[in-house]
Amino acid sequence: MSTHTNAHASHGAARAAAATAAAAADGDVLREHTFDGIQEYDKRLPNWWLATFYGAIAFWIGYWFYVEQAQLALSPQAAIELEMSRIEAAKLASSASNLDDATLWQMSRNAVFVNAGRETFNSVCASCHLTSLKGVDEGGIGHNLVDDTWAHGGNPTDILAVINNGVLAKGMPAWGPVIGAKKTAEVIAYILSYHEAP
Amino acid sequence: MSQQKLSIEYNDKIVRQFVLACVIWGAVGMLVGVFVASQLNFWRLNFDLPWLTFGRLRPLHTNAVIFAFVGNMMFAGVYYSTQRLVKARLASDFLSQLHFWGWQLIIVAAAITLPLGFTRGKEYAELIWPINIAVALIWVVFAVNFFWTLARRNEKALYVAIWFYIATILTVAMLYIVNHLSIPTSLLHSYPIFGGVQDALVQWWYGHNAVAFFLTTPILGIMYYFMPKAAERPVYSYRLSIVHFWSLVFIYIWAGPHHLLNTALPGWLQTMGMTFSLMLWAPSWGGMLNGLLTLRGAWHKLRTEPVIKFFVAGITFYGMATFEGPLLSIKAVSALGHYTDWIIGHVHAGALGWNGFMAAGMIYWLIPRLWDKPLHSTSLANIHFWTGLLGILLYVAAMWSSGITQGLMLNGTTEGGTILSYPNFLDTLNAIRPLMLMRVIGGGLYLVGWLLLAYNMWQTLRGAVPVNGSVEVYVDTAPAAATAQQRASERMGWLPAFGNGPVLLSIFLVGFATLWMVGSGIVSALGIAGALVTLVAGYALLYSRGKSWQDWYEKLLLNALPFSVLVFVSVAAGGLVQIIPTVLVNKPDNVEDRLQIAYTPLELAGRDIYVREGCYNCHSQMIRTMVPDVLRYGDYSRLGESLYDYPFQWGSKRTGPDLARVGGKYPDVWHLRHMENPRSISVGSNMPAYPWLSENNTDVAALPSKINVQRMLGVPYGPLTPQQIFDDVNAQAKAISKGLREAGAYVAPEKEIIALIAYLQKLGQSEQLTPRAVTTAARH
Repeated sequence: MSTHTNAHASHGAARAAAATAAAAADGDVLREHTFDGIQEYDKRLPNWWLATFYGAIAFWIGYWFYVEQAQLALSPQAAIELEMSRIEAAKLASSASNLDDATLWQMSRNAVFVNAGRETFNSVCASCHLTSLKGVDEGGIGHNLVDDTWAHGGNPTDILAVINNGVLAKGMPAWGPVIGAKKTAEVIAYILSYHEAP
Repeated sequence: MSQQKLSIEYNDKIVRQFVLACVIWGAVGMLVGVFVASQLNFWRLNFDLPWLTFGRLRPLHTNAVIFAFVGNMMFAGVYYSTQRLVKARLASDFLSQLHFWGWQLIIVAAAITLPLGFTRGKEYAELIWPINIAVALIWVVFAVNFFWTLARRNEKALYVAIWFYIATILTVAMLYIVNHLSIPTSLLHSYPIFGGVQDALVQWWYGHNAVAFFLTTPILGIMYYFMPKAAERPVYSYRLSIVHFWSLVFIYIWAGPHHLLNTALPGWLQTMGMTFSLMLWAPSWGGMLNGLLTLRGAWHKLRTEPVIKFFVAGITFYGMATFEGPLLSIKAVSALGHYTDWIIGHVHAGALGWNGFMAAGMIYWLIPRLWDKPLHSTSLANIHFWTGLLGILLYVAAMWSSGITQGLMLNGTTEGGTILSYPNFLDTLNAIRPLMLMRVIGGGLYLVGWLLLAYNMWQTLRGAVPVNGSVEVYVDTAPAAATAQQRASERMGWLPAFGNGPVLLSIFLVGFATLWMVGSGIVSALGIAGALVTLVAGYALLYSRGKSWQDWYEKLLLNALPFSVLVFVSVAAGGLVQIIPTVLVNKPDNVEDRLQIAYTPLELAGRDIYVREGCYNCHSQMIRTMVPDVLRYGDYSRLGESLYDYPFQWGSKRTGPDLARVGGKYPDVWHLRHMENPRSISVGSNMPAYPWLSENNTDVAALPSKINVQRMLGVPYGPLTPQQIFDDVNAQAKAISKGLREAGAYVAPEKEIIALIAYLQKLGQSEQLTPRAVTTAARH
């Protein structure tokens, strides 16, 4: 039951024919069959829509050629290996400016270093050593860093070694590589700020 | 030809039942959603109770929204529209009732088992194996009821909505069954038959296409019925229906690996996932165009009709989400957005915007027709619309900002790209807290809107009389010979169904393209040549034979069985090409680089506790091939390092940090304290506390059966007697307990926390295999 009469058809026969032809070219003609009263036009696919479709297909072909076929792009594994070795080289270069005890003590009297170190310490170290630095003595996991006993040596460079290499057997991760040389020096400065300089 | 008039009364009772269930479960699912979102802001809402923790409730939320809310909505819409589109009553009242009550029983079973910690540990596939079987059976009941109705139809041709329903029923069955293949270890526990990378691929083939064929295709079918009905306008374009239907169902299946970009998944699968996702953009928008442009000439209804408002907003959100999906599938964008709230925002644009609003529009349209009474209050429906819309916008905007903020912070590096800008994960979590709160408000508003619908419906239904629709059809009573002759002219056998231009060309094109992609050398070249020839031939034939192809398709639409088989062939293709090579090739024997060391019995018990508590909802175990991931978590994860993981636990969200290499990073006592009270270690953490792990005993008795199944699956366990297993467990547990005592904390060896610590300390341990020649590592 086609109840919805096409508006174009109500005019004169000739004009109707012309209109129908134009509409047919545009797909603006209703299909004969209806489903539960639902009618369907048969409009052309929009060009911009086709362009996105064909464009995505073209991209697929090109990208596959580039990445998988010609292997012009590095594999994800090769890319990350390369990037990590670049980073390692940069780190090795920067660690050449070696820190000694005197410099670290000097930093520990420098407010900029100490304040920056406190921030890093509270963010990274305090989970075990606590923000009070008293660690195990106040229920934490790490050593107390403000008393006078040093399990792994109390010289600034000893502390540096612990941070850089960790004490894996005791659960102290190697933080140096994670936070970097600058922040490591700052953290040491912050810890030393609780102690008397020699 | 003489005809007899026949009056058919539709089974609208079943539609009413499913509509009511949809409204109720929708409210429950959204309520749980608002609750778990609040838990992320206020950890105290976990109440230190096992069955109220985020890790167990989040699967309840996702399953409730997908299978209970949208599931019931889909069944209501499919049953209502199909009967009318084929002019036949549903084939069996018994099957309809079985379908309804079976499905509700499954939902109740899920709502009980998930909080109790019974889970398979795979997203949207958490339900345990006895429930899986029930789901499969009830789905078959649905299928039989539906196809039987089609067989008895009084409308010869199949309307586009029916195409989408057919695709839904067949594909969901395929996906569900394959991804739930498991071997039980007990009545309530099983291991999936795929592990590690294979499980990851199968899971996301399923997970992505559950979105496609459970949340999208049935709703598109519903749109194709209810939108022209409500707008009282013709559908925009029939040929667009054809093109976007076939391209959508075919391409969708291939896009699953976009959930695993930059992971240990083989590169060719990642490339396939990304490129096919981009090709999916246009087919998806075809559906949006056909929905929105159906309103041509009736846009004024947008001002007055709540139903049209919901449909137009819903379809617009569909368009937005299906643009965002391909965008997020680009590897570089995924590197930023994956594991963050951006993905959560993306799925909610779909679930709240598309599914929720289409459900609301459909229900507002159905209520007066199913109960023969005008809606209680149109203005209340309008308030629902604006409340819901505001809710979605707040939600999605919050999650976009949150995801991009956290992604930028996590990926941010300093000092020439050598150091992380925010080495502490918690800094990035606490930066997004205000946005996480805004999400709760948005979701809460959406829930309020839904409750308005429930209230409006309740007020309408009070005192209303249910009515069933009916139709009069004319059935041929011509002499049998004449009828048979006409039937024969309409019938399409298998040969014409497959042996014709469009189908053969498509099969050749896909076949050759597949050879090109997965083959190498001469095979690949053959694929290119074949594809080109097919393309040219197809183009030429389209011009010479195009008209006959149209006639063929019209005839195919009269034949439900060949049509359904063609649909199944096109949805099966992608999975076969991706899964079969992965299952055949990525086995322990073929692995290069590194191979995981199998878990000891105690570690396996700990792993099952990890799965039970749903840790994967917040923690990934996959360090991607990206500098920030490697700087933060250690060397990138290798394919072989999770090969014995049944199920895989790569995760899809990092509310907390990645755990792939957490083993050995902290001492045992760190983990003990952290699990008892995360904030004692990590200030500002939003992780729930797990005090019960220090109270409950590890289920050692289950281990012999579990290890037997794992051995069957290919994990290299020697022939262990139960006693050997128990001895092994005791020895390892005692050592851990002793270590804890020395660190000043005593926990008895038989407690669950000991097993969990054993598991966590194992993470990341693998054996280095002799590197093979690089050439053999070609592409696959």
